[in-house]
Amino acid sequence: MTSIALTAVAGYRRATRRRLGLFGLGLVALLAAFVTDLAVGPGPATLGQVISALIDPSAADARLRLVVFDLRLPIALMAVLVGAMLGLAGAAMQTILNNPLADPFTLGVSAAASVGASLAIAFGWVLLPVGGTIAITTNAFVFALMACLALFGLTKLRGVSAETMVLVGIALLFTCNALLALIQYRSNETQLQQIVFWIMGSLSRASFEKIGICVVALGIALPWMLARGWALTALRLGDERAESMGIKVDRLRLEILALVSLLAAISVAFVGAIGFVGLVGPHIARLAIGEDQRFFLPLSAATSAIILSLASTLSKAVTPGIIYPIGMITSLIGVPFFISLILSIRSRGA
Amino acid sequence: MPSFRRRENGSATARFPFLFLLAFFATASLLWSVSAISPAHAQTAETVEVTDLAGRTVRVKKGVQRMILGEGRQLYGLAVLERDNPFKRVVGWRDDLKVNDPDAWRKYRAKFPEAEKIADFGNPYTSDFSVEKVLALDADVVVLDLGNYFKAQESGTIAKLEKAGIPVVFIDWREDPSQNTVPSLILLGRIMDREKEALAFADFYLRQIRLVYTRVGNLKEKDRPLVFMERAAGYNPNNCCSTWGATNFGKFVEEAGGRNWGSRFFSSTSGGDVNVEKVIADDPDFYLMTGANWSEAIPSSTAAPMGYEATDEKVQASLKTLTARPGLSLLRAVREKHVMVLYHQFYNSPYSFVAVQAVAKMLHPDRFKDVDPQATWTELHAKFLPVETSGLFWATMK
Repeated sequence: MTSIALTAVAGYRRATRRRLGLFGLGLVALLAAFVTDLAVGPGPATLGQVISALIDPSAADARLRLVVFDLRLPIALMAVLVGAMLGLAGAAMQTILNNPLADPFTLGVSAAASVGASLAIAFGWVLLPVGGTIAITTNAFVFALMACLALFGLTKLRGVSAETMVLVGIALLFTCNALLALIQYRSNETQLQQIVFWIMGSLSRASFEKIGICVVALGIALPWMLARGWALTALRLGDERAESMGIKVDRLRLEILALVSLLAAISVAFVGAIGFVGLVGPHIARLAIGEDQRFFLPLSAATSAIILSLASTLSKAVTPGIIYPIGMITSLIGVPFFISLILSIRSRGA
Repeated sequence: MPSFRRRENGSATARFPFLFLLAFFATASLLWSVSAISPAHAQTAETVEVTDLAGRTVRVKKGVQRMILGEGRQLYGLAVLERDNPFKRVVGWRDDLKVNDPDAWRKYRAKFPEAEKIADFGNPYTSDFSVEKVLALDADVVVLDLGNYFKAQESGTIAKLEKAGIPVVFIDWREDPSQNTVPSLILLGRIMDREKEALAFADFYLRQIRLVYTRVGNLKEKDRPLVFMERAAGYNPNNCCSTWGATNFGKFVEEAGGRNWGSRFFSSTSGGDVNVEKVIADDPDFYLMTGANWSEAIPSSTAAPMGYEATDEKVQASLKTLTARPGLSLLRAVREKHVMVLYHQFYNSPYSFVAVQAVAKMLHPDRFKDVDPQATWTELHAKFLPVETSGLFWATMK
């Protein structure tokens, strides 16, 4: 090996170490955000009490147990998991579509889920034979999945280029928003409130069953995407170059889109349409760690999880006793952040 | 620029995500193993079993002392039952009374300044219900509005509260006020140990509403004037017109011996927006509106500020503005001054029977010569409420 090659290898190793370090930092920050979320609330439980209850539930009194295990823990975990899912979905979408504005929200997946939920709320139309309030979740899930299938099918039909996917996604978004307006128009005041409430997103719908499903979905999607990390990194160089390296670009795109569908459909079905998290998280990760997908994807999940965890804390901390809609908080945090990001990218002339 | 031919498989870089996942699964399974939590100990006080307006059977402590109101406007009912101090048992409530009926809020606050101290649970329609705050306040009962039933189920609020041993009861004077007002008040009376007051109110309610039913309940279609009931006129100054279907104010119109224009178009929903051209084409006999003092919450509101602080001058000025909206001058009802505005909060208040009486007198002055809705309203305050009446709760265009 020539000395130049050796230097290159050493440099690469250094970069890898730095990225690992950054990723570790992300995980520490995530843990801190999660613990803060657990510690904050109007109820009778301090951080110390929460931790001791987590370590030894039997020693805590009934009320404290209830606050920790029924009220705070499901929500705090859900915030981390859904954040991670949305971040991973957004990051993967941005990569395969080569478009910095892609995420489940901007490409109509969330809007489709909202249509499904609204149909259940306003007309009691249920696609799967389930009753009660689960109907909304399953409806939202089925619709989100259908949106992804439409994205999938139409792109397959027209050739799997990034541009077609984005255009189809935008068409989907507008169609779903029009349908949503129609449903809202046909619903009464109470239903309208419920629809608006659902769309705004809420982590209060968290439960350990849902958390389990999220863990399984992440457990499938994250390793799968990481296994495709090199190929995805190559895809960032452009389709032709990736093809020339022996990567089947079309297949890769559809495969990743299927995983994204799973993540996006589950997360919006469970907590409603939460915007910006899946968009901003990956951008922060990209600025910190670059385009190496093996690091970029998990860090996107971590940063988005941090954002949603912080939003969850904020939603209940601003005014004790009032829980602001989580979707509103993420947008409020997300918008200024996003604008500053765009400006910083512009100023670097990239 | 990493080289793609030499894969770095087997290095720490490829392993760490799986470790990370492993940790994830371990945490998850740990949480899974956390056994179910037993509910908090039930109080050993005397309890009463009630059926609420959602049809649920609930066991509640008799004579609840610490209540949380899922809607601020539930105060209208509490004022009847706990006349000496409606806020005495309220430890938490939502902000809709303060936002949508500032006049009533100020009137009650002036008399009961401690109401300021009640914990605020925010907007009842857009925000989640903080169960933790309910626990922190050590509530005996949470009273929710039937319109929020579905949401409370979906977000698990009911289940969580029940697990904490805090019963939830649903009341309603909005979804179906004609049917649910009295049962709701009696339900509250039973859990607050104020049944006597609840029954006295029910008696008064019945007497006043029967006055209307017995005179116009069986009117033939041809004797019923066509009424357009505009919902929240001027709430959004650029929008005309929202109306009710055969529910709430739409139903009040029918009970008062009118034909509600919106009932034909909104049979399955509570109402919606209509094209003013269609209203002009149908040329109703009466043009009725609702209004409230929204200008503090929504500065652009041109609604008639009905409520405890309304003045004749302000209301007439607002009626002028509202009837001058494009096209409305073409209406026979406007030209003949068959225009009336009512306090919008009647649509979510146990006092709605007075609105039915006022509308009935407007539509059928001859049949109600001996009935004075204003006297009914004054009597309601004198006999049942802690505050005296003031302002205007309905008005006709002069």
